[in-house]
Amino acid sequence: MVKKGVGADSSHLLGLGWCGNGLGSNTAVVDVKDGKILRTRQFDFFEAYTPEELNAWKVTVGDKVFEGPRTLALPPLSIAYKKRVTSKNRILYPMKRVDWDPNGERHPENRGKSKFERISWDEALDIIAAELHRQYDVYGPGSILVQQDGHGETKLVHGPHGCMSKLFELMGGVTLQCRQPDSWEGWYWGAVHVWDAFPTGEGIQCNLFKDVSENTELMLCWGCDQETTPWGWGGQVASQMTYWFKDLGIQMIYICPDLNYAAGIHADRWIPVYPNTDLALQFAIAYVWITEGLYDKEYVETHTVGFDWLEWEVMGGENGVVKTPEWAEGVCGVPARLIRALARKWHKQATTVAHCNGGGYIRSAYSHEPARMEVCLLAMQGLGKPGRNQFKFVEWGLYGADSQKAVPPSVDFGTLQAGYNGAQSPFVRFIPKTLIPKGIRAKEPFTWMGIPRPSMPRENQFNEYRFPMKDGDPYLHMIWTDCPCWTTCWNGGNDFIDALRSPEMETVVAQHPWFENDCLFADLLLPINTKYEERDIASEFDDAVPNVIYLETQCIEPLGESKSDWETACAVAERVGLLEEYTGGRDVEACIKDAFEGSGAPNFISYEKFKEQEYLAVPFMEGWEDIPAGYEPFCKDPQANPLTTPSGLLEIYSTSLAERFPDDVERLPYPHFIDEGPSHKESRLGERGKDYPLLMVSNHPRWRVHAQMDDITWLREVAKITGEDGYQYEPVWVHPSDAARYGIQDGDVVKIYNERGWTLGAAVLTERIMPGAISQDHGARLDPCEPGVSDRAGANNLICPTNVTSKYAVGEVTNGFLVNIEKADLDALRREFPETFGRTLDEGEGVSLSNWVVKE
Amino acid sequence: MKTFVFDAARCNGCFNCQIACKDEHCGNDWMPYALPQPDMGHFWCKVDQFTHGQIPKVKLEYKVRMCNHCENPACMQAAPDAVYRRDDGLVVIDPAKAKGRKDLVDACPYGEIFWNAEAGVPQKCTGCAHLVDAGELPRCVDACPTGALRYVEEGEVEPGAKAIGLPADAGAAPRMRYVNVPGLFVSGDVWDKEANEIVEGARVTLTPQSGEALSTSTDDLGDFWFRNLEAGVYDLHVEHDGYQPQDMRGIKLDKSLNLGDFPLLKRQ
Repeated sequence: MVKKGVGADSSHLLGLGWCGNGLGSNTAVVDVKDGKILRTRQFDFFEAYTPEELNAWKVTVGDKVFEGPRTLALPPLSIAYKKRVTSKNRILYPMKRVDWDPNGERHPENRGKSKFERISWDEALDIIAAELHRQYDVYGPGSILVQQDGHGETKLVHGPHGCMSKLFELMGGVTLQCRQPDSWEGWYWGAVHVWDAFPTGEGIQCNLFKDVSENTELMLCWGCDQETTPWGWGGQVASQMTYWFKDLGIQMIYICPDLNYAAGIHADRWIPVYPNTDLALQFAIAYVWITEGLYDKEYVETHTVGFDWLEWEVMGGENGVVKTPEWAEGVCGVPARLIRALARKWHKQATTVAHCNGGGYIRSAYSHEPARMEVCLLAMQGLGKPGRNQFKFVEWGLYGADSQKAVPPSVDFGTLQAGYNGAQSPFVRFIPKTLIPKGIRAKEPFTWMGIPRPSMPRENQFNEYRFPMKDGDPYLHMIWTDCPCWTTCWNGGNDFIDALRSPEMETVVAQHPWFENDCLFADLLLPINTKYEERDIASEFDDAVPNVIYLETQCIEPLGESKSDWETACAVAERVGLLEEYTGGRDVEACIKDAFEGSGAPNFISYEKFKEQEYLAVPFMEGWEDIPAGYEPFCKDPQANPLTTPSGLLEIYSTSLAERFPDDVERLPYPHFIDEGPSHKESRLGERGKDYPLLMVSNHPRWRVHAQMDDITWLREVAKITGEDGYQYEPVWVHPSDAARYGIQDGDVVKIYNERGWTLGAAVLTERIMPGAISQDHGARLDPCEPGVSDRAGANNLICPTNVTSKYAVGEVTNGFLVNIEKADLDALRREFPETFGRTLDEGEGVSLSNWVVKE
Repeated sequence: MKTFVFDAARCNGCFNCQIACKDEHCGNDWMPYALPQPDMGHFWCKVDQFTHGQIPKVKLEYKVRMCNHCENPACMQAAPDAVYRRDDGLVVIDPAKAKGRKDLVDACPYGEIFWNAEAGVPQKCTGCAHLVDAGELPRCVDACPTGALRYVEEGEVEPGAKAIGLPADAGAAPRMRYVNVPGLFVSGDVWDKEANEIVEGARVTLTPQSGEALSTSTDDLGDFWFRNLEAGVYDLHVEHDGYQPQDMRGIKLDKSLNLGDFPLLKRQ
């Protein structure tokens, strides 16, 4: 039993991270009293073990010691998360859109406008069963799109994402929305072709925490915010590490358009760069190294292929533009003299580049170019030499790949997959998540290159897929979503809304705990409970604390008529007569036991003892100190330790790209400078820059995980800014010099717009953003004015580019795009959108659910 | 006797202390020490954020505020029957005895007492006395990921730690301590205008109107920094061998300043 907290009746282990899909993190203790959640506190991973039993680790440098943490320091998001349970936005019973009649007029054009009425579970299941049968009878397998992914609560037995897809597969087939390598687009679509790093395209991380501690002199945090990005599923270990690096005297330079939260406290120097112009800066650095002979020629000779192509591009390339620091200054805004100084410093000092998967440039137009260029720069300075690697501050346990473990690994004990009921490996039919609006509207087949998962081997990029998969397969007529935040997280929310309202889309069902974002466009809403209301099993792997699995015992009774995602799928399965096939005869307890027994846990503890102790921790690996760091083996002997690229070397020139995509003018076989091309016109120096002269930074949010938690009062007290009309607006950072030009005062509500629509924000005049750029975190809870056009909340994904990364790379482009701003005329907006501006506001949570329900 | 110590150099600004305080107290009854805190509007533990300097020389500073658990609390003087000081130093407003005492909100010179209109009581940080009694740390301290906020014996407070000072505190003797609170900074960068190169090793001298001159050299990015300065008026002098020196006089320093770039010209 977990040690009981002061005043608590019971205490429960719960994973309060939001990676979703069974990958637990942010392990916390939840204290409960009188059926109410009392508090959320940190868990001592050593509570039932001695440091010797778990082979506790430390790194020693000189007289300084970093001890592996006993607790995973929680982020404020986890501590505040209990507020989500009692949010007034909870969907507590099934609801139906009032003017959606499955037996008559469906009014798809009114999605996002018309309201909802309460129905019973029985009515809901009747409608669903009839509609499912109709879809299969009329169109055949494939007409139902399941949006089954994305970040959300992390549950194992209960899903939370994808429980329904298995049922629909049993009914005959389904089309899946498949995530792309999102948040690491550039690495996957670009860097992979240089170093073929699996699973994300980011470099080998083995033992890099130790290597950086011992050898690195300079850390370039390139768009990296380790005080924000890891919060969702890495706690605050990254913050503790950064203070340690600073204590060791490692210099930190932050390169980003905004003074992000880490830069604000850790930076020895902030170098502002216009959003998504890092490529110019990188090329100019290469220019300095090449012209001054400041790179490792021997390494380049022995470890890379195609360096002459890069040299050629740097010195002019096809369009003859020599990539001098003076040229780069005009593009990226960094003074030429500083570029030269930075280049020389990088060469002189053992330099590691650090990321939290990626800053803005990894999710912008043509993100493959800066990503692969970074690898080329690392190569030019001897990638794999002591202190010279690419380090990431997050997700060392991603996909369980040993290559990602920058911190000491634990002894292997498998996974809990055997108990998992959420999304399974993709079935046959899929559409990339980035192409969903196109998929919904499709009336003729279309194709794309790769990939059915966020991580696949490099070669998968060369596979062509199509929708519909075969001639004769149906187009889409129904959507079932359990991750209703496409509008607020993906590439062009307004376009998605427009597609959702097309007449061919007959039915949209959303299952979700809260009424938010895409739920506004559903026809049926099913009430889902939070993980506090369920019993489950969870894990936390490779977060610097000992690897653990634990029972998530139920904290409180389910609220209202809510069920878990899996229970909801079971209810539908029962109604269509497939319950036994769907569950395989397992109940929750059986799934938990399967998860335990399918892992390596029985080698350490009996199931009975596990249930009593409620968690199992396993030791860190003996001899972890001897695991070679990052690219050290390749660096020492590339012949004996080749990469998995076709040549075994770092491929600055990719023969694979050259052979497979000879017609691609956006991603060439070698890195080249591109700011605009057929897919994107998002440069401030281009034609569109005249009308939309500002570049938008839309970072992973500080006070949310993507679109989640925008209704937590305690976080909104910190994050939001109350406008003159009493509405809590999402802040938008504007440099005072830009604000003066636009006549904008601090606190003014401003309109952020381009030809794709507009949203609002409250201006924060700050030195934390460079002139020429503005910054507004992404993921604010949608509050549409005219659905598909405009929004009050600051849901800036609505106006992102819809086009994917480039012609053959289906990544999202959600950062570094062109906008303009103006001071909003609130009186005029109130007259034009009386419903939006008349919505009842909860003092702390924002727009109330009551605005959308006509009959309870 | 224990007290809170805040180390500005270790605070990452995560707001865990503020949020954990709400988690512990909002909606939770910890009588006899505290009635539930309202969901919003009260900040028994609060993080303030400050942005210093101008692009690209900008730094964030965080400061945590809460009841100072004063040695001679003004609130206790105003309501000796309703406010008491424990042996361990925690100052507690007794919710049962302080009912209706809205005047206590104004009695605190630091603005750390809040009025709970619904319960009709003045409220503030109790130091999580209910947890301390059970041998646990106050929640704000327990939730701090970096050790920036500590709850320690008076004897463990590092020398040089300062209590908050306000003219109005008149003998309250606040006990919460602050260390490594940054002063003002002055920064800039130096470069060779003709060569368009940064200048490393340029000598930069900052002279206050009274007091001793400070000097430093530019680093390998051409930057100079003077940190932890007092407000005042300063003169700046930049010189480098073979170049004409530059001066900037009468710099009024009442906030941190990026003085911009100093392009040097070679001596004729």
